[in-house]
Amino acid sequence: MTVYAVEDLSVTIGEARLVEGVSFAIGAGECVALVGGSGSGKSLTCLTPFGLTAGQAGGSIRLDGRDLGGLPEAALRGPRARDVGFVFQQPLTALTPHLTIGRQLAEAWTQSGAPKPGREALVAALARVGLDDPAERLAQFPHRLSGGQRQRVLIAMAIAHRPKLLIADEPTSALDAILRHEILALLDRLRRDEGLALLLVSHDLPAVARHADRVVVLENGRMVESGPAGRLLAAPESPYARALVAATPRLADPAPPLSPVGAPLIEARGITVSFARAGWRRGRLVAVDDAALDVREGEALALVGGSGSGKSTLARAITRLGPADRGEVRLRGQPLPPRGRMTRAHRRLIQPVFQDPVASLDPRWTVAEIVAEPLRHLRPELRGDEARALVEATLAEVGLDAGLIARRPAALSGGQAQRVAIARALIAEPALLLLDEATSALDVLVGARILDLLGELQSSRGLAILMITHDIAIARRLCHRIAVMEAGRIVESGATAQVIDAPMADATRALVAASD
Amino acid sequence: MIPLLLRRLFTAIPTLFAVILLSFLLMKVAPGGPFDGERPLDPATQAALARAYGLDLPLHEQFGRYLARLAQGDFGPSLVYRDFTVTDLVAQGLPISLTLGALALILALILGVSAGLVAASRPGRTVDEALMLAATLLTALPSFVTGPILVLVFGLALGWLPVSGWGDGDPPHLVLPVIALALPVAGAIAKLTRAGLATALGQDHIRSARARGLSPTRVLLRHALRPALVPVASYLGPAAAGLLTGAVVIETVFALPGLGRYFVQGALNRDYPLVLGVVTLYAGLIVLFNLVADLIYGWLDPRMRG
Amino acid sequence: MKPALLILAAIVLAALFVPPLLPWSHDAIDWDAIRAAPLVPGHPLGTDGVGRDLLARSLVGARVTLAVAAAAALVALAIGVLWGAVAGWCGGRIDEAMMRVVDALYALPFMFVVILLMVLFGRSILLVFLGIGAVEWLTMARVVRAEVMRLKQRPFVLAAEAAGAGPARIVGAHILPNLAGVAIAYLLLTVPQVVMVESFLSFLGLGVQEPLTSLGILVKEGADEMDLAPHTLLLPGGLLVAILVSLTIAGERLRDRFAA
Repeated sequence: MTVYAVEDLSVTIGEARLVEGVSFAIGAGECVALVGGSGSGKSLTCLTPFGLTAGQAGGSIRLDGRDLGGLPEAALRGPRARDVGFVFQQPLTALTPHLTIGRQLAEAWTQSGAPKPGREALVAALARVGLDDPAERLAQFPHRLSGGQRQRVLIAMAIAHRPKLLIADEPTSALDAILRHEILALLDRLRRDEGLALLLVSHDLPAVARHADRVVVLENGRMVESGPAGRLLAAPESPYARALVAATPRLADPAPPLSPVGAPLIEARGITVSFARAGWRRGRLVAVDDAALDVREGEALALVGGSGSGKSTLARAITRLGPADRGEVRLRGQPLPPRGRMTRAHRRLIQPVFQDPVASLDPRWTVAEIVAEPLRHLRPELRGDEARALVEATLAEVGLDAGLIARRPAALSGGQAQRVAIARALIAEPALLLLDEATSALDVLVGARILDLLGELQSSRGLAILMITHDIAIARRLCHRIAVMEAGRIVESGATAQVIDAPMADATRALVAASD
Repeated sequence: MIPLLLRRLFTAIPTLFAVILLSFLLMKVAPGGPFDGERPLDPATQAALARAYGLDLPLHEQFGRYLARLAQGDFGPSLVYRDFTVTDLVAQGLPISLTLGALALILALILGVSAGLVAASRPGRTVDEALMLAATLLTALPSFVTGPILVLVFGLALGWLPVSGWGDGDPPHLVLPVIALALPVAGAIAKLTRAGLATALGQDHIRSARARGLSPTRVLLRHALRPALVPVASYLGPAAAGLLTGAVVIETVFALPGLGRYFVQGALNRDYPLVLGVVTLYAGLIVLFNLVADLIYGWLDPRMRG
Repeated sequence: MKPALLILAAIVLAALFVPPLLPWSHDAIDWDAIRAAPLVPGHPLGTDGVGRDLLARSLVGARVTLAVAAAAALVALAIGVLWGAVAGWCGGRIDEAMMRVVDALYALPFMFVVILLMVLFGRSILLVFLGIGAVEWLTMARVVRAEVMRLKQRPFVLAAEAAGAGPARIVGAHILPNLAGVAIAYLLLTVPQVVMVESFLSFLGLGVQEPLTSLGILVKEGADEMDLAPHTLLLPGGLLVAILVSLTIAGERLRDRFAA
């Protein structure tokens, strides 16, 4: 029985027609996935028919037999309250901060006119979505819960009024790999138990294809392919769908070729980092607990773990870009001074690339100045024209056009900005590149190309890489070895193939399972 | 909550102490002693007076005495109003100033928050633009300009309300002063409310609320208003300070026998104890008010409760 | 924002250049025209209670008011930026201590302290500058500190450290230039506050002294005469309001632009 069907759906904002010709239908208990990169129009497609964007929807839109096309926003409030539930991308900000979980859940329960629920009903609703301590949580405020816990509450709120259709717009993009897996599994279970129709929006084609019955692929607001999920994943026809499948590395992919490895470059022992607790609480929060790490010349090591595992803190402590309480680091056999006493000769050998490409560039500097900054301090002997030539050569090496050289970061796309950051990191010819979730903030297709670039640079320059990521499949794409962190400790480490095929620690197993 | 309060008290007590100490030292350092009149006194009389008022004691002892007297509510004698102590004058003037300030604050909150709400519920339309322009105008109009103009229009030209005087605090005498005092603060609160609502309405949780089919009124009042009022709560401390200083002008313009007017007279006549006493008292009031404002802030935003 | 800036520019230019062109100077007394209404020959805006030309007095008053405002605002800017930048950059205990001082001072009824100082030490124009500047630097310090802390977190600062830049270089080349916009916006918002403080003091008789005149004094004189000659209140008052409103609007537009 079809719950939701759109035919020839279009979305217009002002004069611009941003989405056109989209058609699909979802039956009770079925899941349809809407997939595409950023700018493909997937959010507009699923939210505009219900009056939640600035756009106007056209075409045939039928919910439970009723035609929603052309209705004004006020008239759409009814269907939103009764028949549809929504789950959005950012759980950290989607809950009202000054109302308790219990009150918000009760409000969601009664939004369609149902009578107020009793306390047991609310506790049961939270337990069904796998929230721990549901009775305690009712009286708590949202800021006490983690991202994953908040997303569970939001899902509970989205189904509390017993809708027929659940629309989830990138519900797991802001979560780490393990949580992603759990939340998608939860949505699956609810769908089957409740007979919900589920419209799932994502950029990660392989992940959703496992949970969906059918997949619709969008590119630039147009439907380029649709069909059964299994078939689409195994044999995508359109080039865009093929690119999407290739963009997300899976563990089942063939093992990538890796470059040769040399003498020890970095040897870290006994690294401990702790922070003072916020507010009046006593004691310190231990972020990294007695960790040891080795990286050889030309070797790529991945530091993998869930959020809060301490991987970023450890990497920054080793590279002297963050605090360290204790521990010793040797660089090519010589001890590395602590952060406050790092010399320029040492700085030259280790360079970082960060997660947010735009925030890692000074908004008032031009590309030329940004890329030349390390030369000014780390290679002062280079004269003006030599330096300029080197800047241009490095930009070409990362695949950027020389015409960008006078632009400011605001005029660059995410991918371009990250390439500038990589050029800046490479220009002083470091021995080690620190990649701190370097592709997580990028659109999936752009990120895949950056990963390819990093792979090429690693073999052409013989760079060592210390890569931080929460996605073990990305680690496998580039790295010789993997170290898994959990709660500030390194729980497992070894050659990539070995760690993935025969995981020993629980954390590793969870990470591997999340990437399947 | 408690840690927040304790932290505030920790800052408040040293502040008060610093103000008192500062005032005391300034008084000692200022050129011209308290007894310099038109004719210089002969040395014997000077010495006798000095002993009588404890001015020949070492400085820290004098300060100790001053503190002890303060703790008992004794600010010393007024130099100009010879028959009264500062405490007497304060007791006379403070209730009037407080009434004026409290009424003005209530009026400002009512006017400001309603204007902000109305403007935010119709964003970008004429109502919004007009209200916000009016609010900006109000904040740029000093009360010593609006006060006389109000008197000109309503007192002299139309004759509806009394031009000046306290008249034992009956309502007609209060209307114009309270309005004149409240207007700039109302303007600031209106702008803060509107800005707070604009920010709050752009947040993700509002989208979630709208997605659940809640009516716009419910979304505005239940989900957006409280976070929107946070900047207003932060402003309450400075608002109180502004009302205190504004009251000084209003009392002068409308000839009201409040504390502010005594203060101005004291300032013009170099009546040190009076001026010092009022400054200390006002500092204490503001500290108290900031504490209350922090409590309100904590209620509005649960994250502050720690 | 443009209309506001134009009005402001017009007033500043008029205050600077028009008075020497007028037939009557600001302190000359015209015995034949006391409390004259506007548009009387020789006195486009009329005269005050003593017979002095109101237009000349208003413009000269505006000159003084704006001069004091600009000087005090710059004092506030200098102290505020220095304090806020040091607190924000150093962080930790130093920041806490410095901000505690700001919090404590915020609670002071500064106006009264300034008046107290004037009572004790006499009224000099220097004291007026410093006193008012000292009142207003607190907001600037808070804003600058918040902005510096925000900038410090951004990865480009960390990248500069990795590129071998020392703290002085990072603050000078990365942090301060990114502060400029916010600092200017708040500077423009500080000036009307300062104007109000100065006018307020003058109104009470505690500010600028004869032979100088300021808009505050003019409003006070106008208020005294308002039952007989309302224009003596309304015209200088109107000029004061025009200055304040245009400064506030311009400052707010700039602040909003940099808040994004």
